[in-house]
Amino acid sequence: MDDLTREFLIESGEGLDRMERCLTDLEKSPGDAALIAEIFRSVHTIKGTTGFLGYKRLEKLAHVGENLLGLLRDRKIRADAPVVTALLRLLDALRSILRSIEATETEGEGDDAALIGELAELQQAPQESAVAAPSDSALSRSKKARSHSPRSTAKPSTRGSAASSAPPPIEPSGAAQSPSSPPAVAPVAPEEPKSAAASLAAAESTLRVDIALLNRMMNLVGELVLTRNQVLQATAAVPGLTLLTRRLDMITADLREAVMKARMQPVSNVFSKVPRLVRDLCQSLGKRVRLDVEGQETELDKSLLEAIKDPLTHAVRNALDHGIELPDVRVAAAKDPEGTLKLRAVPEGSHVIIEVSDDGAGISVDRVREKAIERGLISAERAAQQPERDLLQLIFLPGFSTASAITKVSGRGVGMDVVRTNVERIGGKVELDSRPGKGTTLRLRIPLTLAIIPALIVRSVGQSFALPQVALSELVHIPAQKSASAIEWIEDAPLYRLRGNLLPLVFLDRILSPVAVPCRRDARESYIAVLDADGRRYGLVVEGLADPEEIVVKPLNAALKGIALYSGATVLGSGNLALILDPGAVALRAGIALSTDENDAAASAPVATSSHRENEYLLVDIAGRRAAVSLGNVLRIEQIPASRVEYVGDRPVLNCQDRILSLADTAGLIAAADPGSQIVIVVCCDGERQVGFVVSHVLDVAAGSDLCEAGTSRRTLGAVLLKDSVTGVVDLAQFHHLALSGMDNADAAPVEVFS
Amino acid sequence: MTVSNRNAGRGESTSSLPIEMCSVRVGEMLLGLPIRQILEIVGSARPQPVPLAPGFVGGLIHYRGDVLTTVSLRHLLGMPSSERPQPALVLEGASGCYGVLVDAVGEVMAVSPQAWEPIPPTLDQSRKQIFTGAYKLHDSLLVIVDPAQLDPQHLSAADAACTGGAYARADCR
Repeated sequence: MDDLTREFLIESGEGLDRMERCLTDLEKSPGDAALIAEIFRSVHTIKGTTGFLGYKRLEKLAHVGENLLGLLRDRKIRADAPVVTALLRLLDALRSILRSIEATETEGEGDDAALIGELAELQQAPQESAVAAPSDSALSRSKKARSHSPRSTAKPSTRGSAASSAPPPIEPSGAAQSPSSPPAVAPVAPEEPKSAAASLAAAESTLRVDIALLNRMMNLVGELVLTRNQVLQATAAVPGLTLLTRRLDMITADLREAVMKARMQPVSNVFSKVPRLVRDLCQSLGKRVRLDVEGQETELDKSLLEAIKDPLTHAVRNALDHGIELPDVRVAAAKDPEGTLKLRAVPEGSHVIIEVSDDGAGISVDRVREKAIERGLISAERAAQQPERDLLQLIFLPGFSTASAITKVSGRGVGMDVVRTNVERIGGKVELDSRPGKGTTLRLRIPLTLAIIPALIVRSVGQSFALPQVALSELVHIPAQKSASAIEWIEDAPLYRLRGNLLPLVFLDRILSPVAVPCRRDARESYIAVLDADGRRYGLVVEGLADPEEIVVKPLNAALKGIALYSGATVLGSGNLALILDPGAVALRAGIALSTDENDAAASAPVATSSHRENEYLLVDIAGRRAAVSLGNVLRIEQIPASRVEYVGDRPVLNCQDRILSLADTAGLIAAADPGSQIVIVVCCDGERQVGFVVSHVLDVAAGSDLCEAGTSRRTLGAVLLKDSVTGVVDLAQFHHLALSGMDNADAAPVEVFS
Repeated sequence: MTVSNRNAGRGESTSSLPIEMCSVRVGEMLLGLPIRQILEIVGSARPQPVPLAPGFVGGLIHYRGDVLTTVSLRHLLGMPSSERPQPALVLEGASGCYGVLVDAVGEVMAVSPQAWEPIPPTLDQSRKQIFTGAYKLHDSLLVIVDPAQLDPQHLSAADAACTGGAYARADCR
């Protein structure tokens, strides 16, 4: 593609963007001459340039559009909805041709006759314009010829061809007989130099720069920062150089900031697409929505701006489709029939918050809960315990978004996981807030720049690795003397008890070694970095920590992509290199499962994959004794207030969804608990029957192999080796029988524990 | 004339002007790379190892603000890896720059196309892929390495092909 065409594409693209903005504004203030003039200019520039580049389709379309705009400008017709719609369609057609030129350097196949016909018809609408139209199109033609002259002075022949190719499209508008008359030209003349001067001033103060050059500048600045660090270290002892190095330090910091700023663009570049989207959606949905935009001048790194385009479109579409109600519904709810969609960008430290809020119906938490349970994303008991705010977050789960039924009844849902995925990919976060009847706010928290990220430097296998701070939730230090007791093991799987919850651990050195190394259980000082990556929560065990650093992300060679553990590399302040770990990929490699219940390993245990159920046991504590229940038999774990327990005779039962659940309380835990406190019940099934098994705590889920030791006790079917100790397994059939027969509970413990 | 024709088939210069080769030493071998393909020589780099990387990857080095992946020529030639810091040649491949770790960089030699000989057929298959031929010097041979064969991406593709797509599997996680 030659430079001329490329420049034409860039200029036309910008012109069309401007036109789109103006068109949506025009609908609100149909008589605004400045807006019409701006739109006219965009179309006119395209038409003028296409003439000598030889794009016939573009020229034809632009020409007929220009005729219509001419009538608008002369106030022969009004910019009502059909006219604006037609002009927007023209805009789309022009844009698609430009895209085709960019891709294939041809205008592509396509029939514009229908659109041209429509645009021509709109020109016919006002009867009185029959006389005005000719002079208008003639005017535009003469204007076009003039506007060519500065551009094509070096190419007289192209100007000729542009002029000669112009007349034919004029014919259909009924202007054939009109020669360009001097009086008609005169009124427009003063307008021309003014706009030319304005565009000239803009051209002088700004400059188009290749992104590759900016990236290179960024790299060089990074290099400079490193060199500065080394100079600072080397000259620390030389008194004469202190002043010089300090200046070097300051200038480097300023330069780095300036280069980063060069990559920043105002969010208005993305926000400007929204008015059109809102307008189109309103028309197709039959809603009335006012758009409020705030903080357009907030700046973001260019690549991030690109990345939030899709999430923002999804969010706006959701707000309009599911959030804001139809006008009559709104009136019935005593609201303004016109809904409000607010778009806000606010800088906040090293982040920019982008808010999309509507004053619509909000999201019904009950519906979300219902649907989540129906889809098996969460258990009913779990859902009842979760705070509303957490329940709302369920709509981001992938399973939630695909179901069309959910979007119809509960509001949002379409593509919400896409929003979250896209935003998290660039190191951002998504928050959702909704009040039924009042509206919904979606908050996207976007880092200012991608090129530089805060990271924690950790050490393992004798080298440094960078861990992105965004995934890090906390750090735990394990001193050497405590490491044996702090880290618990289920066979080869290490676990750490973090505030009562079990956190699966991943040893970085084990992940990074090509051959399987035996589990390291020796006493060494270590650190656990608690990570939250793509919904996977785990602790990464490393040998050492260094300071957190702002690192410049460098891409890795494609040959290393196959390892899939690193998202890049960086040069540390010390001049050493460090690989950047991808927390999500590490979790995947280690086999950390996606958990919907973030902190509760025990609660998610019953839904563990069935293939492992044979060998997995739920480890419980009953008044200080350990016992195991085969995980395949566990239906759910419930926490209920002790006051909910009722009695049939002397047999404790639980009214559970209108069914009687017998409780087996062998250690007298119910009696021991005060009425207000909570008791934990493991609900087990044995064939058709169910029994609730009162325990003090649920300890763990552990894998173990059956020891097949027969005849250990009346009530134990067998025993297994769990966590290095032989643990009795509850025989459910016996247990159930016991519960039904209402035998004296104090008679014997249900399980035997051998240690 | 026959010589230059043969050279043309090998992708070497067709003229009879001397060709400049950068000589490097790997173990006991004297190897040459066309100087025009070398962007820069980084002296005694200490490459940062990349755990789990394919064997031919010698580690990462810092080069002008970028992180370069290096290829260990010693590994490609089946020699044990070096304990000492090694100089790296920076080459430009199809997908960007990469480094080639050698034991020592020698002088730039101007060799005449007439002194070119193809590699003997008795050479091991793995060598045949890397070496294009040799120039007869006074007292020794300058074995020419084909830089295109050292591109990490090329090597990883070849690796994947012979290990049954182990890396390809890792790719589509």
